[in-house]
Amino acid sequence: MIEAKGVSLTYHDGTVALKDVNIEVKPGELVYITGHSGSGKTSLLKLLIGMEYPTSGSLKILGQPIKRGKARKIRKLRKKIGPVFQEFKLIEGRTALENVMMGMRFLGISPRKMKTEAISALTKVGLEHKIRSKVENLSWGESQRVAIARAVARKPELILADEPTGNLDHDNAINILQILNSFRDNNTAVVITTHATHLIENQEDATYIRVNKGEITIEHSSEKIV
Amino acid sequence: MKIFIYNIGYFLLEAKRTIRLNPLSNLFSVIGTGLILFLLGMVLAGWSVGDKLIVALKDEAEVSAYFMENTNEKDALKLVNAIKGMEGVMDASYIDETEAKAQMEKMLGNEADILGLFDENPFEAFIEVKINLDYMDQVLSDVAKLDGIDYVRDNRKVLEQMKGISDGLKLFGVLIMAAVGITTLIIISHMIRQGIYNNRDQINTLRLLGAPDGFIGFPFLLAGTFLTLLGGGLAAGLLILLLNEGYSHLSGFIPFIPLPSLEELSDKVSLLILLVSAALGLLGSLFGVSSIGKEE
Repeated sequence: MIEAKGVSLTYHDGTVALKDVNIEVKPGELVYITGHSGSGKTSLLKLLIGMEYPTSGSLKILGQPIKRGKARKIRKLRKKIGPVFQEFKLIEGRTALENVMMGMRFLGISPRKMKTEAISALTKVGLEHKIRSKVENLSWGESQRVAIARAVARKPELILADEPTGNLDHDNAINILQILNSFRDNNTAVVITTHATHLIENQEDATYIRVNKGEITIEHSSEKIV
Repeated sequence: MKIFIYNIGYFLLEAKRTIRLNPLSNLFSVIGTGLILFLLGMVLAGWSVGDKLIVALKDEAEVSAYFMENTNEKDALKLVNAIKGMEGVMDASYIDETEAKAQMEKMLGNEADILGLFDENPFEAFIEVKINLDYMDQVLSDVAKLDGIDYVRDNRKVLEQMKGISDGLKLFGVLIMAAVGITTLIIISHMIRQGIYNNRDQINTLRLLGAPDGFIGFPFLLAGTFLTLLGGGLAAGLLILLLNEGYSHLSGFIPFIPLPSLEELSDKVSLLILLVSAALGLLGSLFGVSSIGKEE
């Protein structure tokens, strides 16, 4: 699903965000990317969704090389990814249902099926009572769950969530992580960035990628030391 | 195509949202476009009237040959036959005084009452010579040389002047069309770019979700085309008002001018303006929407 070999990312201003990253994520895997603010977590996630291109090394997502000049193919690739953005990127003035459907409209799904799937996704994240609410009237946690519903309603092969627990209290944060984890199956891998390492302790069957000053170390749940 | 069909309702709603996002600016754009298209409509109407006039005058391309005094009808008919045999002459016929008066009455139409002021018929007999315009000079010269012909009157000057006006109007029309086209394209594409800028967050989100540019841009295309058509509708409305007003004045003042019928002209020019506005709206919107791709 994700295959990174010697990937580095240096921004135009010379900031080195990632150095020699080597990762392999298989279908059905749960991956936590941890690290302090500014460590390079979000840069790594931006690479994975094709918002940035590696300055060196090779990166393939679902078999598609991520490199400059492949914008059209990367746009197509994104249809198979369910992104949950740190700042949600919900579209104001629209209801929760409209926002979820917005992510499905260009996938060739019939309107009836699209609506059913969107309501089902909102129900799974516990927002069945808010489907007609405008997103600007939702709480932080509810908006987060709409963003998750939008990502998963697309039946993606890869879910990428950037700091989904940010600004949430402990219980809500745990709830969000459980919801995201629940969408993992044999075909779908889930990648979550978080700086709140205390929330992901004792997670079974997970891979932890720790990012520190652009360098990564990989641990599996059996050997994890946070 | 499937995506397009599934999302027709969504596209229409999004186009409506785009328009309502910046209503005042869009209203001014519609008024501006409408006034520009109105200008184009006026030129097209002028063009149409000018063309009709030229065709009518060309159909009437004829010279009138007047007899010397004491020419009797028998000699006049001989002259008619002689003229008929000339190169460039399509037909020639003898018009006596009574028929000459009848022709003028027909030409004057409702204003023919004015002829009642004369005690006697003021018209004289003549030969009406229908000619091929290309042979006008030669025919004039040959007819004038005939014995029994006093003088020949032609409408060449009028024809040449009208042709000059018509050619000038056509050139002016082409220039106006080019100016209108470019201005409308700029206004519409700017309006669309503004809409895209106002919706940039939504557009970026859709991109990150994998939406193709065609899907993102289609509502803007609809909005731009609709607003330009609205401008076209405004222009057509103003033009119909102007033509109604103009015709009511013109028909009283200059009854000789063979104007096209008001309905025919209104329908033709209005339809043309609407078609031009739709085409310009579509093209301008396409220019505007092309900026979506450049932002990545």
